Amino acid sequence: MDNVVELDAVTRTYGSRRRPVVALGGISLAVPAGTFVAVMGATGSGKSTLLQCAAGLDRPTSGRVRLVGRDVTRLREGALTRLRRDRVGFVFQSYNLLSELTVRQNVLLPRRLGGPRPRPLDEVLAEVGLSGLAGRSVGELSGGQRQRVAIARALAGRPAVVFADEPTGALDPTTGEQVLRLLRGGVDRSGVTVVMVTHDPLAAAWSDRLILLRGGEVVADVPTPDPASIAQRLRATTGDPVVAR
Amino acid sequence: MSAGLTRQALRKQPWSFAGPFVTQCLAAALVSGALGASSSMSGARLDPSARQVLTESSIPEMATLFVVVSVYLTALIVGLTMTSSIARQARDIALVRALGATPGRVRRAVATQAAVVAVPASVLGVPLGALLAHAWLAGLTGHQVIPPGVTFHPSAAALPAATGITVGASLVGALIAALRPARVRPAAALTETAVPRRRIGLVRTAIGLVLMAGGVALSIRIAGGDPAKAGESSFFTMLAMCVGAGFLGPVLLRLAAPLTRLFGGTGALAADNLAVRAKALSGALVPLVLAIAFAMVKVVTHTTSVHVRGVAEPAARVWTEYSGTVVYVAFAAVAAVNTLVTVLLARRRELAVTRLVGASRMRALAVVVCEALLVTVTALAVSTVVAMVTMLPMLHGMLGTWTPYLPTGQLAGGLAVVIGLVLVGTVVPALVAMRRPAVESLAVDS
Repeated sequence: MDNVVELDAVTRTYGSRRRPVVALGGISLAVPAGTFVAVMGATGSGKSTLLQCAAGLDRPTSGRVRLVGRDVTRLREGALTRLRRDRVGFVFQSYNLLSELTVRQNVLLPRRLGGPRPRPLDEVLAEVGLSGLAGRSVGELSGGQRQRVAIARALAGRPAVVFADEPTGALDPTTGEQVLRLLRGGVDRSGVTVVMVTHDPLAAAWSDRLILLRGGEVVADVPTPDPASIAQRLRATTGDPVVAR
Repeated sequence: MSAGLTRQALRKQPWSFAGPFVTQCLAAALVSGALGASSSMSGARLDPSARQVLTESSIPEMATLFVVVSVYLTALIVGLTMTSSIARQARDIALVRALGATPGRVRRAVATQAAVVAVPASVLGVPLGALLAHAWLAGLTGHQVIPPGVTFHPSAAALPAATGITVGASLVGALIAALRPARVRPAAALTETAVPRRRIGLVRTAIGLVLMAGGVALSIRIAGGDPAKAGESSFFTMLAMCVGAGFLGPVLLRLAAPLTRLFGGTGALAADNLAVRAKALSGALVPLVLAIAFAMVKVVTHTTSVHVRGVAEPAARVWTEYSGTVVYVAFAAVAAVNTLVTVLLARRRELAVTRLVGASRMRALAVVVCEALLVTVTALAVSTVVAMVTMLPMLHGMLGTWTPYLPTGQLAGGLAVVIGLVLVGTVVPALVAMRRPAVESLAVDS
């Protein structure tokens, strides 16, 4: 099967040349189409940077990133933007919706930016449980509803891959579960690839494959186990003293 | 899409566009008024003797100078206010960039916003300018400074010129502000906009220093040159230094920040805020410094001349001298207040957070007042320097003195007006922003 995301010896450093801060220290991995990958690690382990580099939101310092078969490290900004618009969906922890616009306007935003024709709006909204709210301003919605708008926006354009950065971070467990169910459904029903960064073992348990980061390096890349094992593995990699004992 | 981003911006922050709208309306009025007054004089049907009286009054020259001054002044201030409005959308711009808006598309959306504000503002401003010019000419004939035959005739060039300058400056200002968020990687923009950049740019500081030095050099040249041309050149001295002050704003505000420590904990909070917001507040510094320096130069030149010569100037002459300046000072002051209001309303969220972690409404307000005072002190210090550099060589050339003179009463009055302006631009919007419970303010913006 084709790989939707491929990273080859990707590094990313911040800060000055004299005192560089290494966020990613040479990561190689491949994500085949139709898989749900969870990326975990302690704060500062580089998981958000990994997501941003893989999604073409940021450029690596060295190494190569292939996204849907295109080498994004060699694409110019305009072409990269179009690639993101046409083939990639995003879900962020802080929703990142335009709060003064309506649900419909937010979901159709990529299309208005020139993106591909989306699936019928009613169908997409029904899928995320927001039927009848198309005309509402996003500012009036609850957190869970906002995140579902963001998922509708990400899935409406039939993307090849959805990148989700702590999508349940700001939600209660029940609402968070709805969101994860939607992402899982996208993978199972439409063959979308999902790359999700999370620190919640219960959220990660919805994935097919678990990648653990520590200090900008991959320390584990395994089929996703049950939540308790995920929590244990996470504690082990983050060097939690409870586990060390 | 341009429409979507424009609509979002206009709805989310109506105030941040109301400010530029008012400023641009006044800018168009200023340009068209100056043009109208100038063309009314040159086009007036006068008999030869009246024409000679008019020419000898040197008022037509003054009107030409007004045209020049208003064009530069409005272009600068319109561009500046628009820049600060667009800069506030950095986060939304980063978001649409992540979702697939190319840099070019973002620039188009931003240009649309600039035009949407500027075109109606100019159309509204031009008739206002006609009223201004009419009133000015009526005042001049009333004081018998110019012959009664000079009446106001609208200039055909006023509308296109005023619109062109206002729309042009608005576009340039907006595009400059969008340059960075449109071009940077969306990842950087999404994280960076959450925290304003604290670092002070070396280039920015260098440009500021060069402009300041240029102002001083120009002033020295004027002192040695033809006094008749001093008026126009001294305006450019002032302009260069005021823009320089804007570039140096972050440095200046941060130098002044330790002063607030005198006010204890509240002051320390204010100082921290200023360090973060120094850049945004610098936008208000330019018009504020321009307004104070303009007024100071005009008033102190007058009072010093009366003081040295020991005779009062004729009322008609005083009226003529002050009338033009009043308009510019008012324009710059309005722009300054607008910018302050824009900056403050952008902080609704931050004010709400301050209150949530335990500050009472009074305490939050005290922090705002403290910051306002610091901005005032900085503006006063900078404008005094600018005014002195502009004025001293002129005073020396005209009156042979190096010591300016200003009666205590007028000094106190001026200070009160400046402090009042800054407080209006900060405390009133802060009160409006804090009217609702803190939790509500937070819910709306997330």
